[in-house]
Amino acid sequence: MNEQEFIARLEELLEADAGSLNLATPLGSLQGWDSLALVSFLAMADEKYGTRVAPADLRQCKSVADLMKLVEKK
Amino acid sequence: MATAKIPGVRVAGIASAVPDTRAPVSAATDIFGAEMVQKISMNTGIECRHLTTPGLCSSDLCYAAAQRLLQELRWSPESIEGLVFVTQTPDFPCIPATSCVLQMRLGLPHSCAAFDVALGCSGYVYGLWLGASLIAGSGLSRVLVLAGDVASLLSSPWDRALSLLFGDAGSATALEKDDAVGPCVFSLGTDGTGWKNLIIPTGLQYSRHPQDETTHIRRKAEADNQRSAEDLYMDGAEVFAFTIREVPPLVNRALTAAGWKMEEVDDFVFHQANKFMLTHLAKAMKVPLNKVPFSLREYGNTSSSSIPLTITTQLREEISSRPLRLLLAGFGVGYSWGACAVSCGPLVSPPVILVNRSEAWRC
Repeated sequence: MNEQEFIARLEELLEADAGSLNLATPLGSLQGWDSLALVSFLAMADEKYGTRVAPADLRQCKSVADLMKLVEKK
Repeated sequence: MATAKIPGVRVAGIASAVPDTRAPVSAATDIFGAEMVQKISMNTGIECRHLTTPGLCSSDLCYAAAQRLLQELRWSPESIEGLVFVTQTPDFPCIPATSCVLQMRLGLPHSCAAFDVALGCSGYVYGLWLGASLIAGSGLSRVLVLAGDVASLLSSPWDRALSLLFGDAGSATALEKDDAVGPCVFSLGTDGTGWKNLIIPTGLQYSRHPQDETTHIRRKAEADNQRSAEDLYMDGAEVFAFTIREVPPLVNRALTAAGWKMEEVDDFVFHQANKFMLTHLAKAMKVPLNKVPFSLREYGNTSSSSIPLTITTQLREEISSRPLRLLLAGFGVGYSWGACAVSCGPLVSPPVILVNRSEAWRC
């Protein structure tokens, strides 16, 4: 998976500034990481990566790197 | 269930009714702030709802729709042999069945079979399936399927996932035996593992979790939401995941059983869950958005009546004048789902009826 592309998509989804996220960014520090973002993330994983992410797994994620692993996993 | 093909049933008419009180979602700015309200509204596609107040019930909205429909069809109430009332917000907590009261109010004969069906998002399709089955299987000649909910009353005003989502509406659909009509095709299903993702956790004394003196207290929940155990709860992420897993194959099963190609469908009328979800589903199924009518902007998510409300508000002129091939799909609370491939029209479809509080049944 293209890491930069993934991060750029996540930034767009969260309406975060380009370049403001990296793999180490903790999700807890992001203001936009709310219930709407969870749903948007499920949609992005499905649409762009063909991955059906389980919401329970998504809620376990602590960082951007965790999110990427989740999408990559399947 | 596999799929069912039910021949010889004509959809003669569809009517909808909403409370006359129109409430823009911007009214909730005081609670959530303008930015959050706008963000939610962009996501859900909902700008406004028609909202009831306690005392104006689902049945009142369905009654108004049914009255008008019978009038315009010139059907005598005496000719109705079956009444299916689909709701999760009945007049009384189960006893008696609201369908019995509606039989009386509508002046339907004592020979009419009437019963309630307690399904939500999938309920309209289940109602059509039951109505069509009563005609094809039990030889009834005319059946009314009434579907309506006042779901806006179920959630906490301080729950941002739900309080801007639901609108209130009722509908009436008239079905008639007609041997010249091609089959209605149904595909239905259930996955009860999703029971806790859309739920009112507590209820009356017979319930799994009876209400007590503390269950009505609204406490801080996730984000800044406040909710009690008597309020409706939804896990939006779980419901979304369920939908993208089940709905595309559901639609395909119905299309395959009907022998229709996707291009042959005039309109895909989905339960109006929210715009983000429907747009994603349409993309995933490669359904062009111009074939997906929405009633969300003006009416919100109207639960069991969202499919007929969408037909009567968005497709009324077309379906009043010519036959349309419709693919209907309802999915959600339960989890429960159903799709119906049906050719219908031209049919009787009056403009959406506005119901005033003063029209509530006085008993």
